Amino acid sequence: MNKTLGEIGHDQAVEIVAISSHCGRAGRLAALGFLPGCRVRVSRVAPLGDPISIEMAGQEISVRRAEADLIEVKEVA
Amino acid sequence: MSVAIETPARVVRIALLGNPNTGKSTLFNRLTGLRQHIANYPGITVEKKVGDMELGGRKVELVDLPGTYSLAAASPDERVVMDALGGRAGHEPPDLIVCVVDATNIKRNLLLVSEAAELEIPMVVALNQWDAAQRNGLRIDTGLLADRLGVPVVTTVAKRGDGMDELKKAIQHTLGEPRFIPRILWPDFVDEARDIVLNGLEQLGVEATRPEALRMIFDTDSAFADRAGHKEQVPGILRAARARITANGMNPASVEPVLHYRHLEALLDGVVSGDGMVARTRDSIDALLLHRVWGTLIFFGVMSVVFQSLYAWAGPVMDLIEAATAWVQGLISPLFEGMPMVQSLVSDGIIAGVGGVVVFLPQILLLFFFIALLEDTGYLARAAFLMDKLFGWCGLNGKSFVPLLSGYACAIPGVMAARTLEDPKARITTILMTPFMSCSARLPVYVLLIGAFVEPLHGPIVAGWTLFAMHFVGAAVAMPLAWIMNRCILKLKAQPFILEMPDYRVPALRNVVIRMWERGREFLIRAGTIILAFSVIIWALLYFPRPAAVADQAREAFIAAHASEPGLAAALEDPESELSLKLDHRIQGAYIEQSYLGQFGKFAQPVFDPAGFDWKITVGVLSSFPAREVIIATLGIIYNLGADVDEGSDDLRSILARETWHDGPRAGQPVYTLPVVFALMVFFALCMQCGATVAVVARELNWSWAIGSFVAMTAIAWVAAVLIYQIGSRL
Repeated sequence: MNKTLGEIGHDQAVEIVAISSHCGRAGRLAALGFLPGCRVRVSRVAPLGDPISIEMAGQEISVRRAEADLIEVKEVA
Repeated sequence: MSVAIETPARVVRIALLGNPNTGKSTLFNRLTGLRQHIANYPGITVEKKVGDMELGGRKVELVDLPGTYSLAAASPDERVVMDALGGRAGHEPPDLIVCVVDATNIKRNLLLVSEAAELEIPMVVALNQWDAAQRNGLRIDTGLLADRLGVPVVTTVAKRGDGMDELKKAIQHTLGEPRFIPRILWPDFVDEARDIVLNGLEQLGVEATRPEALRMIFDTDSAFADRAGHKEQVPGILRAARARITANGMNPASVEPVLHYRHLEALLDGVVSGDGMVARTRDSIDALLLHRVWGTLIFFGVMSVVFQSLYAWAGPVMDLIEAATAWVQGLISPLFEGMPMVQSLVSDGIIAGVGGVVVFLPQILLLFFFIALLEDTGYLARAAFLMDKLFGWCGLNGKSFVPLLSGYACAIPGVMAARTLEDPKARITTILMTPFMSCSARLPVYVLLIGAFVEPLHGPIVAGWTLFAMHFVGAAVAMPLAWIMNRCILKLKAQPFILEMPDYRVPALRNVVIRMWERGREFLIRAGTIILAFSVIIWALLYFPRPAAVADQAREAFIAAHASEPGLAAALEDPESELSLKLDHRIQGAYIEQSYLGQFGKFAQPVFDPAGFDWKITVGVLSSFPAREVIIATLGIIYNLGADVDEGSDDLRSILARETWHDGPRAGQPVYTLPVVFALMVFFALCMQCGATVAVVARELNWSWAIGSFVAMTAIAWVAAVLIYQIGSRL
């Protein structure tokens, strides 16, 4: 069972499986490089639990969990 | 010697296109210097920065387009980049695009460039932040990149000014000999989908370009589709087009970036090598600055410095400006001796008005100094990350913190600081909430009333807590209001809060200074003129009609009342004597009562009666609509103490405490009971009694928002004051 990026714990590395939504917000994430096959890591969580910061291909992008939930991921070893 | 007369050639236009955080604006500042001006694009809240640049002895126009990651447009604000490039909606198309690409993140930056290539406009690529790329150990084969892209690629360090001459040469060369980045080769199903849209729109008689048709397909909520109208037919056409994409196993919402990135991957093969070191430096700084405990403490430390600077450090300069205003008044006034009306207009209307504009400059310059510093170092994004959760629930976001905090010193710089918010919906909400924050001009009102009524009754500790609590009244009302606005009033689509954490960088002083200069000038020219006009109008309302009989009556009444005092006649001969001053104050009081505003106050008193305000308070409230702190001086004049009283004045406090109703059902009872005092303070906490704020909101958004929020805040303030008085006086 795949999880969403919003459910992934701190410092865990995952691989993006799919952008699981057809809404416009998913397109914005894709434009920043959140694409299937891409490896990402939840590098930081804000003190109040949201948003989270994602490390991806050397860049650091912060998204709210609500948006991160649009991205389907699987765990990688 | 012959003089060559050139025919006035068409202006050459160059657009700067790029992601946020690429140093695009720094590059713009480098190329144009101070020859730039800011305007708003018509109908939207995006600012348009245009400047002039020398190119081979010729002047060309440079437009700094808003930074964006893609041409996708869900709102009219985002549509502006594509419209500006495509020469649509009243824009003049550029002759050339300078694509500013962050050399440390080439692939992601090229997505936008690859999208823009659809428009078939000559391009030059500036690989900016070249020094950072080198430091990070990235090896970039610029020759190969230029070959693959088919356009000149120039390495630049805009912060230091490196590569500017080469960039200008490349621009000039490409203007003479246009070079284009080849368009991506779309798979057949995308071309088919595009033709479905183009044919469908043609049958409806809607004109759309090929790149626009693509945007309508790719952007789920497309602002281009919104503009096409025909709300019955267009969604059906787009559904048919997107079905073509789904049938080929792709998600229409992400197919465009997926295909572009695939295309870019091939294009960049062998161009970039080496691994970025920057991640490690950034990571170790972030570990501290975004730390649950230390990061939060540092955040509050940084913000308290920003706030302290606005609240305290700006003070002496503001005092100096006020003193200078008084000095100029004293200097100019004698020139108009014998013309009391002109004298008062020049001194109390114009000079005071100009002083009232300039007095905001220290805070604006200081705030934009800090904002430029915080933005350029990369800290502002971190601050927004830390604070976002606090604001997200009511439609604001982490970037709302700095404007709202600044609002506690003064709403003017706060409203202007909302420029740092990219999302139009959050930006509008932040601008409208900022005037609710308890600015420093509200403080004198609180100090006067709490000092006169709360402290004598309940002691200094309760008084202190009351003063503290008053500072949160506005915020407590504003946050739920923001929530309601977002649900019910603002019809804009919600934007995701996506925030890039840029690398930490040392800011360039030149850039910081240009930002301060640009904002200060903006304020003086755009808002200053309106504030000055307000000042003159209010002066007129307080000055006219001024019949001479008023002064004579006040004088006679005064002499009759003081007839028993010895040496009255002699004292009145001497303009410095105490009795003369008292008489002057009495005459000022009589004039304000007879002025248009005074008459209106008496007329409007029934409106404020449910809040327990008598006509004197009503005049005070009305006269402080241009600037709330004016109420102290107005009350001073109304109670015959003259305009020079301050909030600590014992005379004013004791007169307020003794004031009783002269007639009506409450005749003989004191006017200032605790419910009245709190109703008045809450009214001041919630009302937008500040002409300068109205002017700045109008400048940042538009007049309908400015007037709308003025009316709404006045209504909210009135309701709250009435509730407090009605409930309080029944307890």
